[in-house]
Amino acid sequence: MIAVGDRVPDAELLRMGSDGPETIRLGECLAGRKVVLLALPGAFTPTCDAAHLPSFIRTKPGFDAKGVDEILCVSVNDAHVMRYWGEMSGATKAGITMLADPDSAFTKAVGMEFSNPAVGFRDRSRRYAMLVEDGIVAVLNVEETTGQCEISAGETLLAAI
Amino acid sequence: MSAKGRRNFEKGIRMGITIGDRLPEASLVGMGEDGPEMVDLAARLAGRKAVVFALPGAFTGPCTTAHVPSFIRTADAFRAKGVDEIICIAVNDPFTLAAWGESTGATAAGITMLGDADGALTRALGMVFTAPQLGLIGRSNRYAVLLDDGVITHANVDEPGTCDISTGEALLATL
Repeated sequence: MIAVGDRVPDAELLRMGSDGPETIRLGECLAGRKVVLLALPGAFTPTCDAAHLPSFIRTKPGFDAKGVDEILCVSVNDAHVMRYWGEMSGATKAGITMLADPDSAFTKAVGMEFSNPAVGFRDRSRRYAMLVEDGIVAVLNVEETTGQCEISAGETLLAAI
Repeated sequence: MSAKGRRNFEKGIRMGITIGDRLPEASLVGMGEDGPEMVDLAARLAGRKAVVFALPGAFTGPCTTAHVPSFIRTADAFRAKGVDEIICIAVNDPFTLAAWGESTGATAAGITMLGDADGALTRALGMVFTAPQLGLIGRSNRYAVLLDDGVITHANVDEPGTCDISTGEALLATL
């Protein structure tokens, strides 16, 4: 699993643009910037929808004040699902960038994948949040169990920086 | 017969959708009152008349604007013809499908949303659709079938990427 001090692996993620899904190179997005990256098991799932994402909507102004350039929300879903989840949850309006890791390539590269066939999850992402400075992990908060959202919450990360 | 075809034949797996065939056994995931629950498709279809339609993905363009609405419009007409249940299948998880069922009105119209989360049914049917530039990997082509006791009696399978003959109206017209 990725650790503090590591460089975040480069990966192609998808974002919904006005003409359909667009490829984002994560390495370019992180270079020379201060970025918060939160990842979670799935769009529209109870803990992600009711706790994790809202905690970053609430704390977005706090991160802005600390000089964070962008907040990225990554999930092993497709770009269509991420777009609607961003709209329905209010995250897009709050200025959070919703990114899809549809084939789990990024999630596997950082060693965060897990599966739970009983709820239809294959190679999804564990719940975590990290502060990335110029591509290097500065703070990493990984939740022990996927159904919890405490250490990975926006408030916890904000307090750590 | 190709090596792959022979392998599938030997395993008893039928590729493709053919009238007279029985739908393969599959475990799908639906959303129950207490969260996700596994659904044994064969048991669900046994002794009943059901429409199954499948599509590339929740919240994608034509699925949301055309395919699902066509079955919302025709749901009552299918019921009038003795159809017990209309099931929409996609390679999505049950959380996404539940949210999509609500936002499209499909759930309110009585359509059951079931996830072929690992794509096993879709692969067994030879219906895999992949468009990596759209982030859609191992998804399903569009098809619509009428099943009587689990056996396919009517089938409309669309060309990959199109939504033409697998609509509610088109399937209804064949009955």
